[in-house]
Amino acid sequence: MDNRKQNKLVNFITNPKYLMVLATIGIFLVIYIAGIIMYGDKGFATLRTFMMLFVDNAYIGISAVGMTMVLITGGIDLSVAAVASLTGMFIAYGTTVLNIHPLICMAFAILVGVTLGLAMGAMVTYLKIPPFVATLTGMFLARGVCSLISRDSISIDNELIDKMAGWKMYFMTFSDGEWVKVKPVSYINLNVVLFIGMIIIGTIILQKTRFGRNVYAVGGNEQSARLMGLPVDRTKMIVYGFNGFCSALAGIAYALYVKSGWNLALQGGELDVISAAVIGGVLLSGGVGYMIGTFFGVLLKAVIPSLITFNGTLSSWWGKIITGALVLLFVALQQLVMSGRLFKKKKPSASHQKE
Amino acid sequence: MQGIEIQFPGVKALDGVDFTLRRGEVHALLGENGAGKSTLIKCLTGVNKMDAGKIVLEGKEIRPTDPKNAMDLGISTVFQEINLCDNLSVAENIFIGRQPMRRGQINWKEINRRSQELLERFHIHIDVTRPLAQYSTAIQQMVSIARAVDVDAKVLILDEPTSSLDNEEVQRLFAVMRDLKKQGMGIIFITHFLDQVFEMSDRLTVLRNGHLVGVYNASEITKLELVSSMIGKDLDEIFDLKRASIKKDAPVALEADHIGAPGKVEDISFTQQKGELLGFAGLLGSGRTETAEMIFGVTRMQDGTLKIDGHTVKINEPMDAIHHKIAFCPEDRKRDGIIGDLTIRENIALALQARRGMLRPMSRKEQDDLSNKYIKMLSIATPDAEKKIRELSGGNQQKVILARWMATEPNLLILDEPTRGIDVGAKAEIQRLMLQMCEDGMSIIFISSELDEIIRCSNRIIVMCDGKKAGELNGEGCTQADIMRMIAGEKDGETA
Repeated sequence: MDNRKQNKLVNFITNPKYLMVLATIGIFLVIYIAGIIMYGDKGFATLRTFMMLFVDNAYIGISAVGMTMVLITGGIDLSVAAVASLTGMFIAYGTTVLNIHPLICMAFAILVGVTLGLAMGAMVTYLKIPPFVATLTGMFLARGVCSLISRDSISIDNELIDKMAGWKMYFMTFSDGEWVKVKPVSYINLNVVLFIGMIIIGTIILQKTRFGRNVYAVGGNEQSARLMGLPVDRTKMIVYGFNGFCSALAGIAYALYVKSGWNLALQGGELDVISAAVIGGVLLSGGVGYMIGTFFGVLLKAVIPSLITFNGTLSSWWGKIITGALVLLFVALQQLVMSGRLFKKKKPSASHQKE
Repeated sequence: MQGIEIQFPGVKALDGVDFTLRRGEVHALLGENGAGKSTLIKCLTGVNKMDAGKIVLEGKEIRPTDPKNAMDLGISTVFQEINLCDNLSVAENIFIGRQPMRRGQINWKEINRRSQELLERFHIHIDVTRPLAQYSTAIQQMVSIARAVDVDAKVLILDEPTSSLDNEEVQRLFAVMRDLKKQGMGIIFITHFLDQVFEMSDRLTVLRNGHLVGVYNASEITKLELVSSMIGKDLDEIFDLKRASIKKDAPVALEADHIGAPGKVEDISFTQQKGELLGFAGLLGSGRTETAEMIFGVTRMQDGTLKIDGHTVKINEPMDAIHHKIAFCPEDRKRDGIIGDLTIRENIALALQARRGMLRPMSRKEQDDLSNKYIKMLSIATPDAEKKIRELSGGNQQKVILARWMATEPNLLILDEPTRGIDVGAKAEIQRLMLQMCEDGMSIIFISSELDEIIRCSNRIIVMCDGKKAGELNGEGCTQADIMRMIAGEKDGETA
């Protein structure tokens, strides 16, 4: 019985499907533990430091959920950061200048995000425009509209937004017969709830629904998926629409995080999102990737700047360099796994002979 | 189906073809490449639209709009090329699109269990949770068949299902087909293995050039009659092939001395005379293709030396090989051979242009003359040289590739499975072409999985096994059993 369990574990680890995810989790743990050893005395080991990884990067994580799906279909979306920035501008301008209820602004932003996503999806699906180009136009459009609304940064002055941004759930501990806050104070906010919620929803969609599996099939081999009778066009449309939703949601999270709207906000943010997904083991050529991998990809990308801050002497640009190196490492690893050098195709057995 | 007619610009792909499939019968669909078999299937599955005619299924007229629609109507298809997603697990490939659900969620346990059971019918015992990409082509083919038979279909179409299966696997497939037949399913069976046609089918329909030649009962027609009805030529012409005659004093054209690339093939030595047809036999993955790739510079040769016309040469990349007048037709013509969106003319001119270099472009006139010459010489079925190669049938595509390399007038031509997946007529034509070229002084290395064609054409046969040379046989007087014994002998020696 023990032996069989062991076999199952070996099987699980050597299954190339999971290998990339396991690598991401492994590297995250190594870096995190190294951080604890080096800077534990400065407070790196505290729950607060760990939770701040979530708080500071939730908006990237939310966007990465949609991006993961797009990448699995073999596509890419360059418009996410521009759409998020536009969302922030809607909220800032709407609430502060026009005095519209923030929830209405948010709903409108999500509507715009989904519509733009579907429009780009239609370009990709029906006009056969390469996703890179289709979403590039979407990115310029969103940035342009954003700058039309305002070219200055608008800080948000709204009671409900303050309330939403200020909501915190503190970690408590039981000591001396009563509940007290963990020291140093650590908490999660609405953004973290959204982030983790979206990761869970994304996982369920990808693993437990037919739609999710079609996403993988489309990315694996679109032609085959069509011949197997799968709804390829519908799947791609929904994926881009869903990604538009995620971009807008990330924009809401970002607006809550910085409490302002700015037309130049999140410049280049789409590349942060894409690299988080790639570090999480999502294959840029499509067909492979897991939400849980993306989750750890976001954390891994977050822990590096955190470490640099704790070090105190290193230039913060080292963060970019290390992130670049990680992306390179993962793309190389993917190549290795996919080209089958690590796991050779099983050769046909001796009985496979033709006459 | 009655009176299906479909038109493509230029060539009539199907012209007034009637086809009737009864419940519980296996009906073989036969014909040369470009005869219209694939087109007929594509009409049935909704991939192509029909111009005229109608399809009647169980008394009702149907018009499949796409593969999904055809599937819903009860027409299940295994296409010739494996159409699965190799990033998904084996089990998922069988069930995707129709996964069993439980409480709104995909029931993975059920999927894995049922796949395991299904594949056990084919005596395949593998881990169904692993990605399909990890398994051999034979297993992938079985998986795609398993997917098709598990659907509750009325009509099952099998397009060359046995092309990468061994004998035993074919027999298992046949057993399953017999089961399905008993359950009343109608099966359309397309294959170029005539033995299998006679073993399995009740009736045969033969197409030629888009026309219906006839419908026969399998028990009432002989193999020879069938072949002649398929190609419409005299039989003597096909089967009377003469081996290339080599002059006793013909110089050695190619000499390989212990060449190898560690991990792929090792320690291969052979010589080849000018004008000799050297056959390479062996199992899939035995090192046949790898040896060829090494000679052509696709794979780096790390050990040994290669001599051409007595001079040692160093071939690091295909361009070097081309300059030494070596040409190579790869095995997977879809992936490595044709450039689908270019015309026949451009595909033919490609290799010659590459050798001439960028600075000496070929004039349009030269290209036209070249392509017209080969279209005529190889009788490639096309209205003109400006048709995109992807629109041709497999056999004709193969001929274009052959033309591409013939145009460079090589001294050594390497052909890797040039006859794979093409039918008797085109096969015979390609074999005859090879022999003609040898007669004209070209040396050919001929790789094939079909032992009888290797024996029929080769002067000498190199038998490969597990990345090594297992032995050498004379083409004259050698039998299939000799080759197989040589392959097996090496195997026994290893395990002992």
